[in-house]
Amino acid sequence: MPFKVVMPRLGWTMESGTLVEWRKKDGDAVEVGDILFAVESDKAIQEVEALEAGVLHIPAGAPRPGQQVPVGTLLAYIVRPGEPVPANMESGAERPCRGRPDARPGTPFQPDSTAAQGQAGRKAMGRPAISPRARRLARELGIEWHTLRGTGRSGRIVERDVRAAAAQVAPTAGAPRATAVARRAAEALGVDLGGLAEAAAGRRITRADVEAAASARGVTATAPGEAAPISEMRRVIAGRMAASAHTAAAVTLTTEADATELVRLREQLKAGPGCGQPVPSYNDLLIKLTGCALVLHPALNASWGDNQITVFRDVHIALAVDTEAGLVTPVIRHVPAKSVRQIAAETLRLVERARARQLTPDEMSGGTFTITNLGMYNIDAFTPIINLPQCAILGVGRIARRPAEWQGELALRHRVVLSLTFDHRVVDGSPAARFLDTIRQYVEIPWLWLVQ
Amino acid sequence: MRELTFMAATREGLAEEMARDPSIFVMGEGIGARGGNFNSTTGLYELYGPWRLRDAPICERGFTGLCTGAAMAGARPVVDFMFIDFELDALGELFNQTSRIQYMSQGRIRMPILLRGCIGISGSAGPHHSGNYYPLFMHVPGFRVVVPTTPADAKGLIKTALRCDDPVLFLEHKGLLNVRGPVPDGEHLVPFGQAAVVREGRDVTVVAIALQVRHALEAATRLEQEGVSVEVIDPRTLAPLDTGTIVASVHKTGRLLIVDEDYAPCGVGAEIAAQIVDRALDDLDAPIRRLNGAFVPTPYSPPLESAAVPNVGRIAAAIRDLVAE
Repeated sequence: MPFKVVMPRLGWTMESGTLVEWRKKDGDAVEVGDILFAVESDKAIQEVEALEAGVLHIPAGAPRPGQQVPVGTLLAYIVRPGEPVPANMESGAERPCRGRPDARPGTPFQPDSTAAQGQAGRKAMGRPAISPRARRLARELGIEWHTLRGTGRSGRIVERDVRAAAAQVAPTAGAPRATAVARRAAEALGVDLGGLAEAAAGRRITRADVEAAASARGVTATAPGEAAPISEMRRVIAGRMAASAHTAAAVTLTTEADATELVRLREQLKAGPGCGQPVPSYNDLLIKLTGCALVLHPALNASWGDNQITVFRDVHIALAVDTEAGLVTPVIRHVPAKSVRQIAAETLRLVERARARQLTPDEMSGGTFTITNLGMYNIDAFTPIINLPQCAILGVGRIARRPAEWQGELALRHRVVLSLTFDHRVVDGSPAARFLDTIRQYVEIPWLWLVQ
Repeated sequence: MRELTFMAATREGLAEEMARDPSIFVMGEGIGARGGNFNSTTGLYELYGPWRLRDAPICERGFTGLCTGAAMAGARPVVDFMFIDFELDALGELFNQTSRIQYMSQGRIRMPILLRGCIGISGSAGPHHSGNYYPLFMHVPGFRVVVPTTPADAKGLIKTALRCDDPVLFLEHKGLLNVRGPVPDGEHLVPFGQAAVVREGRDVTVVAIALQVRHALEAATRLEQEGVSVEVIDPRTLAPLDTGTIVASVHKTGRLLIVDEDYAPCGVGAEIAAQIVDRALDDLDAPIRRLNGAFVPTPYSPPLESAAVPNVGRIAAAIRDLVAE
């Protein structure tokens, strides 16, 4: 019997997805586990494996790459060699029967008196199945389980698989060494960092290297006024931003902090012994000190719900990351419990995964507060938009030398403007102001939070 | 320690309590001078006479109602049903009156009644004499349901039951009656709601009911040679059910199999599985499995009967299967 290949449901809220491209052609032989096609949904592109072996048959009239179709839509068949192929698409698409009057009723319940004969565990749509125990362990050990190969029956990831993966985790290597700014510039200008590694001759690739390479190539922007289809990701961002703007009672507070000591701290970290680990960026320092400030001001570490305001016990900070495809906000969990170095390693990994569009929904969910930094674009102050259902977001401007009063004299000091947008439904102005002032103090006197 | 059979240990517990508490009396068919079909009262008639060992006609509803009334009036009746299947004839009395009197009297009337009988598929007893029925009583508020598996537990639990002010079902598996085991001398009480971890293991938890505990232990010994470490739990009382001990075990092993010769639908295994999923979902590394008796009236034919119940081989196979999940 021909096996139907349909648009899978890759997340609980996914209702439709865009068929990005086929990785197999009509008529190709496929094995179980071969990548069949790529789907864009919400914020990620995911690859879908074949669940049956056979010959891929893409009927005429099937959705074409680029088309957005509902979950459950028939995309192709997998048939046994020699098996007759279905003549064409069945009338209409195979859709989920939820809420449809012509839905076929389910099979009636049958008591299973000898349940121990059991069935093989089913694979969750598009993702490997994982036991609850293994999932908890992966979370505890920080293991990215989506890529593991399970050894349970039918490929379920079980505890031993996660333990084996944890035992094998080694420091990442291979990627060319480059500064964060250089990576961003390379992304924006379409420059391959791998090609610059030799020219950099052992030192880290900087933004200057990338810009030089780009200007040598003569990069040009796309012509203005050209219409482009709205990507799934753009749609999600648009929906969330509009929802935030329409529902939250947003108020923005700004304050200016003397960042001289923070700059000095970072310079010391750069100059000091690094143990071969990445030097914490300003973002990493800000994540840590904001986490410390949230511990003192839990009212800002909260969310608005239909019937309740939840004040979170844990502090998970989302970091706004600009990618080619759009804004994503990977989450650094349990910030107060982590060292700045740990945070630095984690943001580096998350940002790289974000740029490669490999972030999983789990890595983007569960944040309790967000930080967005536009300093690298020479922005001083701005009014960030709240990442609902969180209560607040901190916008960080550029750190620049400006004349300021210092110990009774006018001096050139490093200054930074901090913008806090908060939801006045959840918290009032004074507590929010006190929170922002704590952050200001932490920026000005870094040892305050280092010793907290 | 001295060894007794399961039934001798139960009888000793009953005799000790009858000596201690003169309000205890036994009623049932053939439990007087005959000593009971399963020797549940052998020797007691000589000690306590016809007033406290009351032979009854074949009329379960009648003598169950009578004993319920006696318990309301302050006595401690023991209703000996012989086969628990015969209790079905008294269900109206038991569910509507015995289980509810305390509630309906706001606790002013107590119901210290012991309802005992043999359960289980064993020895070609056929469809009318092989029932288990414990889920029925677990389902109704008011009953305590006790299923001992060792002589020591049998004695300790019947003594606790005879000091309990609630109706207690005391269920003895026919396949266990002649099993011998150590029984402590002197006063020995086993509390309700405390499961026994009868074998410790790392890889998989097996909760077994009644005779299946013995089978599960044997399967565990077999599997030890294959490198599979099996923990076996005997709940001992099904109501109250000691879920905490099972949760702690599943926290360690991540895998749970429930072995019960009774039918699967709405059974003990279904109840345990639901509670474990509720309380320990994140401890589970595999689906919870049940191994039950066949969903048929128990056959008389010996080969068919043995095909209808879990045995050591089937339990071992189910454990292997679960470990491979």
